[in-house]
Amino acid sequence: MVKVYSIPDCPWCEKVKKYLKLKNVEYEEFNVEEDDEARNELYKISGDQIVPVTTIDGKNYVLSFDKAKLDALLNL
Amino acid sequence: MEKRHKALDVIIIGCGVTGLTAALYTGRMKLSTLVLEADLVGGQIVNAHEIENYPGFASIKGSELVEKIRQQAEFFGASIDEFDRIVNVEFTNEKKIVETESYIYEPKAVIIATGMTRRKLPLPEEKHFLSKGIHYCKLCDGHMYQDKIVAVVGGGNAALDAAKFLTKYAKKLYIIHRSPALTADALTQERVLENSMVEVLLNTEIQKASGNKVLEKLTLYDKNKDKTYDLPVDGLFVDIGVVPNTSMFSKYINIDSAGNILAGEDCKTNIEGVFAAGDVRAKQVRQLTTAAADGTVAAILAEKYIGN
Repeated sequence: MVKVYSIPDCPWCEKVKKYLKLKNVEYEEFNVEEDDEARNELYKISGDQIVPVTTIDGKNYVLSFDKAKLDALLNL
Repeated sequence: MEKRHKALDVIIIGCGVTGLTAALYTGRMKLSTLVLEADLVGGQIVNAHEIENYPGFASIKGSELVEKIRQQAEFFGASIDEFDRIVNVEFTNEKKIVETESYIYEPKAVIIATGMTRRKLPLPEEKHFLSKGIHYCKLCDGHMYQDKIVAVVGGGNAALDAAKFLTKYAKKLYIIHRSPALTADALTQERVLENSMVEVLLNTEIQKASGNKVLEKLTLYDKNKDKTYDLPVDGLFVDIGVVPNTSMFSKYINIDSAGNILAGEDCKTNIEGVFAAGDVRAKQVRQLTTAAADGTVAAILAEKYIGN
C-alpha cells in the first residue's frame, strides 16, 4: 500500500493526493501533525523536514510533488 | 507515440487568480477553455493563510478563495489540467501552438497568466539545506518547528504573513530584513510585532547558513554596527520577493529587463491573439484585485479577437 505522509491545509500534499486519485492509486494517508508515530516514521524515511512524503516500502520515497519521480516510484 | 493535436478557443497558461478569473469569463462566453498549470492551482495566493483585502470576504484563507473561483470557472465549462506540463510554445500572429507532455494544442487565443515565482535565497548553501531547515512553504513545513527557533527572511506582506503563521509553532521567531524598514502594510506589521516572541533584525543580511545534517545557525551581517555574528536557528522560511515566469515566452513575446511581459491595460502583447494578464504583466500595482481585473480584461478582449 502506498503511504502519503501529510498534514491538512498543505497545498503540495493536496496535489499529490489528487494525482494519486487521478491515477487510481490507492493510498493510506498519515497526518503527521497529530500522529506522533507517523511523524517518527517520516523522520526515519526521509530525514527531511517537509511534507508530503510518498513511499511504498519506507526506503524509496518522493518528496513534495514530483510527477516524474512519483511515476517512477509507482510504475505509473 | 505521436502526440494528438487539439483545437480549441482559448488556452490560459497559469491557474492563479488571474487565470481562473479569465477562465470564468471565457467559460461564460461559451469559449472552449483549457487552463494549464505547472505548479499549484491558485498560484502564490494559495499559500496565504488569511486574506482580508479581497472585496466580499472579511477574512478568507487563500486556498478557500481559490477553490471558490475554481468551482465558478469549472461550472461555466472551463477545464483545468494541473498535471500536463508545457514543453514548448510557438506564437505568431497567424497561429498559436502550446505543446504539453501529452498534447499539441492549437488555440485561437492564448492568455499568459503565469504570475511570479518566489525568489530563491541567494546562498550557495540553499540547496544543501533545502527541506533540511530552509523552506519556502510555511503551510507545508511550519508544523515541523514546534517549540523551535525559526527565522523568516524578508520584510514584505508575504514574509510577515509567514511570520504570523509560524508563531503558532515556534518558541522564538526572528524576522531578518536587509533594509532599514519593513515594507509590509502597517496593519500586518502591527499584528505580527505585538507578539513578544517576534524580534526584527533590520539592516541585516544572511551571509551563510550552516549546520551538520540540518540547518543549525545563520551567519548574519548587521550593517548598522558593521558586525558579523552567528544566530542559532532550527528553521529559515524564505519570502524575499518574486520574479516573473516568462522565460518560456521570451522568444516570441516582448519582455522588459526585469522579465515582465510588455503589455498595456488591454493586456495585448506584440503578438495578435496572445494576451498577458496579472502579475506577469509590466505594471505598478500587483494585488489580488488587479489580478482578477486583468483576467477579466484579457478574457473579454480574447473573445473579441476570436470573434473578429
